[in-house]
Amino acid sequence: MNLLQQIINGIVIGHAYALVAIGWTLLLGVARLVNFGHGQMYMLGAFVTWWAFAKAGVPYELAIPLAMVAGAMVGLFMQRVMLKATFEQNLVSIMIMTLGFGYVLHGLAALIFGSTGQILDSPWSAIEFEFGELWLTAQDLAIVVAAVMVFIGLNKLLNATRYGRLVRMVAEDPKLAELAGINVRRIYYGVFAFEGAAVAFAAGMVAPRTPILTSMGFDEVIMTFVVVVLGGIGSVRGSYVAGVGLGIFTSLFAALVAPAYTTAAAFVLLIAVLVLRPKGLGAGGGAH
Amino acid sequence: MLTQNRVLLPIIALLVYLGPETLGGGGSVYAAFVLIAIFAVMAYGLDMIVSDLGEVSLAHTVFFATGGYATSLLSTQLALNAWLTLACSVAVAMTLALLIGLITLRLREFVFSLVTYAVTVVAMTIAANWSFLGGSDGVRGIPTLDLSLLGMTLKAGNDRELWPYAFVALVITIYLIQRFRASRLGAAAIMVHLNPRLAIMSGIDPARVRLQVFVFSAAISSVAGWLYAYQRAYVSADLLDNYFLLLMLTAVVLVGKRQLLGPLAATALILVQEKFLSFGGYNDKIVLGGVLIMTLALFPRGLMTIPAAILAWRHRRRH
Repeated sequence: MNLLQQIINGIVIGHAYALVAIGWTLLLGVARLVNFGHGQMYMLGAFVTWWAFAKAGVPYELAIPLAMVAGAMVGLFMQRVMLKATFEQNLVSIMIMTLGFGYVLHGLAALIFGSTGQILDSPWSAIEFEFGELWLTAQDLAIVVAAVMVFIGLNKLLNATRYGRLVRMVAEDPKLAELAGINVRRIYYGVFAFEGAAVAFAAGMVAPRTPILTSMGFDEVIMTFVVVVLGGIGSVRGSYVAGVGLGIFTSLFAALVAPAYTTAAAFVLLIAVLVLRPKGLGAGGGAH
Repeated sequence: MLTQNRVLLPIIALLVYLGPETLGGGGSVYAAFVLIAIFAVMAYGLDMIVSDLGEVSLAHTVFFATGGYATSLLSTQLALNAWLTLACSVAVAMTLALLIGLITLRLREFVFSLVTYAVTVVAMTIAANWSFLGGSDGVRGIPTLDLSLLGMTLKAGNDRELWPYAFVALVITIYLIQRFRASRLGAAAIMVHLNPRLAIMSGIDPARVRLQVFVFSAAISSVAGWLYAYQRAYVSADLLDNYFLLLMLTAVVLVGKRQLLGPLAATALILVQEKFLSFGGYNDKIVLGGVLIMTLALFPRGLMTIPAAILAWRHRRRH
């Protein structure tokens, strides 16, 4: 086993974790909303990309934006149904409803795409770069670049634009923001559409690394949980650091200990952090 | 109140008990009644957490599966009888709940739910991979239920014979839930849920109450797992499938929270649709998820509020 290769794998996987988690991070940081259907939205994004690319003959570079549109539509629909609960900040209802949405998405995807596994064989996966014993595909490189760009872009959007300021005001106090004349409803819609589009984008980028199944949403979401909690609930920068750290940890754990138990190991890490530092490793609260 | 009526409740119980025979006594009818009873017991465990503590535990499928796995392993490998497997199922589930409860003691709302969901996902990966638990094949060859005691033969080889035991388990569970709600612990749980500061001022330790309710609720869900193992004769990691989680949650919220017979009525509605009016596996997923979403979106306090909503609507129209 080449340790350096495992660390490179870990960095790539870590950026993938961070990219998949970015929608949830914003959702939590801004709207204090949760989405237990996140894993199934990831699955849907992967399948729409696969269908557009492998079945409809759309180029891979266009299949991803198509999946993002589908993801945003699902996000908007979910938010429409949950709007009342969102304004009431009825977290119990929202949690259960998003679990229900995840279940419905699983059923729908299995009906539309079939329940057999598929491979999203992107053209970038075939391009390999070798440096002695080390290697990397263009897909891996694209994941890292995309994750870095999305995180820089989101950080800029939240901290240096008017829209970002409005979003942060809603995060701070939705009722006061409404009194100040901000259209809170539009912000909530925007954030959920972003969550849908972001996870579909992540799926389009990350899914070529593994076979895709309509049932994969159930455990796919767990790494997002770990990233969000480790990074400090709602912290954009914290999520990035936590994602990369978790990627390296799971990669080394899989190589050195047991690949079947990486999810369990990530969970133990999560528990350890929650017990030692309940607010996560990063600073908690608010999108920043 | 209907559920406190000492005359009406036994009549309802009698009608339910005679239900399968009244509906023709076919094998599929008995199977449906047995499953409704088992899954309702499973849901009552979660009901205590959602309705009384106001939190959403997503780990109750783990306690259900614990009952199933403990029963399957102890009955097939150590040939323990059903009384002992029941005691062990409950003991293991309570121990596990104590551990999870201690870890999640300070967590609230979505962080609590998130960690309990993670517990379920991890439990599923362990169950599917650990050879001790049968790995992906699960555990097969579980003997039929045998509760024979003091010379009395109490065996159940099929769903028809299993129905009286499932019914008794259901009745005991409902009785325990009613006693819990009337107890000091039940009152303390509600106070901790609605006003933790007031609870502390009244000398209640919220963490202790949460832990006690969590452990008690795990014991109830594990009993369902125990009986399910005998009913199905094998267990596998699919006991931790999202289906059971969705079923439990829908059972708890469909009729309305803190309705004594709510989880039973909701479980019956869902199972009747799945067993007799099924649209196919994936369509049923859409139905179950859709019912859960629409109930919470349109009637956040459950279908029990529909009559009041209709009355209010008619009142508004008149004025």
